[in-house]
Amino acid sequence: MRAREELFKGLVAEHQEMVVNTCYRFVFNREDAEDLAQDVFVEVFRSLEQFREEAKLSTWIYRIAVTKSLDHLRRLKRKKRFSSLKRIIGVSDPSEEIAAPTTDNPAEALAGSEQARILQNALNSLPDSQKTAFLLSKQEGYSNQEIADLLKTSVSAVESLVHRAKKNLHDKLYAYYSEQ
Amino acid sequence: MKKYDENIEARVVETMALLDELQPLEVHHLFRVRLMERVEREFGEGARARRGDRLDFRLAFMALLLVVNLGSALVSVFDGNRQVTGGAVSELLDSQNDDYSSQEFAYYEQTAATTSPATETGGEEYP
Repeated sequence: MRAREELFKGLVAEHQEMVVNTCYRFVFNREDAEDLAQDVFVEVFRSLEQFREEAKLSTWIYRIAVTKSLDHLRRLKRKKRFSSLKRIIGVSDPSEEIAAPTTDNPAEALAGSEQARILQNALNSLPDSQKTAFLLSKQEGYSNQEIADLLKTSVSAVESLVHRAKKNLHDKLYAYYSEQ
Repeated sequence: MKKYDENIEARVVETMALLDELQPLEVHHLFRVRLMERVEREFGEGARARRGDRLDFRLAFMALLLVVNLGSALVSVFDGNRQVTGGAVSELLDSQNDDYSSQEFAYYEQTAATTSPATETGGEEYP
């Protein structure tokens, strides 16, 4: 147990920045990103013994981070759908109307802006593989080879996914602003 | 029209550039402390003891369910036996009733049941 804990502490120290920032790219929110990163490391601790060295340990950890982030976005989407249904039938939760807390950090303020919300909605309408390849390509520290390992695909497939994601995102945003 | 399109294009580019402008987060200084607390809570000695307690409760609950199931099965078996016994007696009485009230053993004719030939043929009735 001791040795396992020591190994785990080392892993957390080495990968926490990357895991938190990977989650942050997906959710655009510091608290959610840190909560998700905690879930990621708890999962790592739970399944450390089941890790088969088919991939690099870091790839395995970042794959868990991506999966958890995508699950979180899916849950949010379901929640949003349910709350709009509640609004339609006239049952609304007062806690949903409380404004999100403001922040002093410019990067976080940027992420919390209206433009960021529009971008996030457009990103969330992309297929998971495109969204993942595109967001990871935007993050420092991920090469196309690493993204390919993470998505269990080839580098050329990653390049194609990123290209399609960019085009789709552009078209979706263009359509959105045209309707304004 | 062209100008309008350029405006939209500019807004799209600006929005997409947000991803490039997003600065990396610095992890909260208590992140690791909180994480280790959570790991201890979920996997440490206390958690194992709690899991053991939970297992005991589960076993006790399963034993209770087993007793209730066996009890209800026994009750239904006994009840069924009683019904079988009661059913046999009533069947015997019925068969006896049938023996002495059937048509073959009847020693009188039921007048109400008989009909006159005239009524049957639809002819006139004579006094």
